[in-house]
Amino acid sequence: MNSNQNISVVVICQSDMVLSGLFEILKSSLASEVILLHRGDELIDYAAMSGPVLILATSEEQEKSSSFIRQILTSVQNIHFITLHLNFDSVYSNQTINLFDAPTLICYKVNEILNSFLSDQNKDTDTELTRREIEVLQLLTKGYSNKEIADQLFVSTHTVISHRKNISEKTGIKSASGLTMYAILKKIIDVSDINPDELI
Amino acid sequence: MELFNENSKLASVIHKDHSLLPVINRLGIKLGFGDKTIRNICEENKIDLNFFVETINVFHYEAYFPEKRLLDFPISMVIDYLIKTHQYYKDYLIPENDRLIELFLSASPDENTENELVRKFYARFKEEFVIHINFEEREMFPFILELNEVIENRAIRDQFTKKYPSFSIESFEKEHSNMDDKMDDLKNIIIKYLPPNYDQNRGNAFLTNLFLFEKDLKNHSRIEDHILMPKVKQLEKLLESYE
Repeated sequence: MNSNQNISVVVICQSDMVLSGLFEILKSSLASEVILLHRGDELIDYAAMSGPVLILATSEEQEKSSSFIRQILTSVQNIHFITLHLNFDSVYSNQTINLFDAPTLICYKVNEILNSFLSDQNKDTDTELTRREIEVLQLLTKGYSNKEIADQLFVSTHTVISHRKNISEKTGIKSASGLTMYAILKKIIDVSDINPDELI
Repeated sequence: MELFNENSKLASVIHKDHSLLPVINRLGIKLGFGDKTIRNICEENKIDLNFFVETINVFHYEAYFPEKRLLDFPISMVIDYLIKTHQYYKDYLIPENDRLIELFLSASPDENTENELVRKFYARFKEEFVIHINFEEREMFPFILELNEVIENRAIRDQFTKKYPSFSIESFEKEHSNMDDKMDDLKNIIIKYLPPNYDQNRGNAFLTNLFLFEKDLKNHSRIEDHILMPKVKQLEKLLESYE
C-alpha cells in the first residue's frame, strides 16, 4: 500500500457509466487511490494533494479545466494527463484510453505512467528512515509532544510534523502507539526505555 | 460490478457476495429463505424494501453511494441498523478477534516481549473502540432520536432545548479516522514487522478476521458520515427555523 502511496489517480468524466467502469478496471491493479469526479473543479476538495497526480479525462474536459486544476493543486509538481477517447474510432497512443480498450490494456497504460512517476522520484521513496527521522521517532516514543521534540532538536514544530508524516509514509504506521511498537520491533528503542502501559 | 435490486433472489445475492451475510442478519433476515426474491422477503418480514436494497448495495459496492435516496429513510431505521451493527461487533466480531489473537500469540514457542506488545496494542485498540460505540449508543443516538421527535411534535420543543441547551451534532462528530488508523497499524505491524516465529495459519486467521472487521467498519462509518450526519444537520436546520 505504501510504495505508490503519494500518487493519486483521478478520473474526471460526466458519465457515471465511464466512472464506475474505469474504477472497476483500475481498482485491483493499482496501489494508488482512484478518485472519481464529475467535473474538474471538484478537485478543490483535494487541494492538499502533494504527490504526483495522474488525471484521466476527455480532451474537452482537459481544455476546460487543466489550467484551473494546475491552480488548485499548487503543491503538486507532477501532473500527468491521459486522454479518454470516448468515440467509436480509436487512437493508437499510450497516452489515450479508448472506449473499446480491453481492461488489461487500460491497466497497462495507466501503470506505465505510474511507473515512470516512481522512477522520477528520488531516493525519498526508500523506506529506510533517515537519521533525523530516527531521532524524532525516539523522542516520540518517549511521549514528547511535537513542540518538545522541536525544542530538543532545535527545529521548528513544522519540521517535526513533516518528519512525522514521512515516518508514517515510510513505515505504514500512523498512530503514536503503533510507532512505538515499530520502534521496539526494529530495535530503534529498547522496551525498557518506555512505559508500555502509557505508550502502547 | 452488479448492483442488486428488489427482484434479485436473495440466495443468489449471497452466493455472489457472502460478506453480506451479517448485513442481512442486521436487517432482520435469517437464512433458509429458499428461492424468494428480496421483495418477497421484505414483504413477509415487514422490512422497508428500499432501505434493504440500498443498504446491501452500499455494502456490496464501495463506489456506489446513492446518498440522496438514502436520505429519504426515517432516521430511526438508520439508527436501528447502526445499533445492530454495534451489537454484531460486540457479540461476535470482537470476541472472535479476542479468541483468534490469543490462539495466534499463545502458540509461539516462547512467550516473548513482542507478542506481549501486540497483545497490549490490540487491547488498547479494543478498549477505545468499545468506548466509542458505547458513547454513540448512550449519548449520540438518543440525542438524534429526540431531535427527530421534536421535529414531529413541536409541543415538546421546550423540553428538548432545556435538555440540550446550545447543543449541536457537531459536538458529537467524532472522528472515525483514529480507529481506522489503529486498525491499519495493527495489520501493518503483523504483516510487515512482527518476527514470524508464530504459527502462520493462526496469524492468517487473525488477520483475516481483522480485514473483515475493517470492511464492515468502513461501511459503518460511511453510513454514519454520509447518511446519518447530513440527515441530522437537516433536522437541526428545521428546528432552528421553528424558533
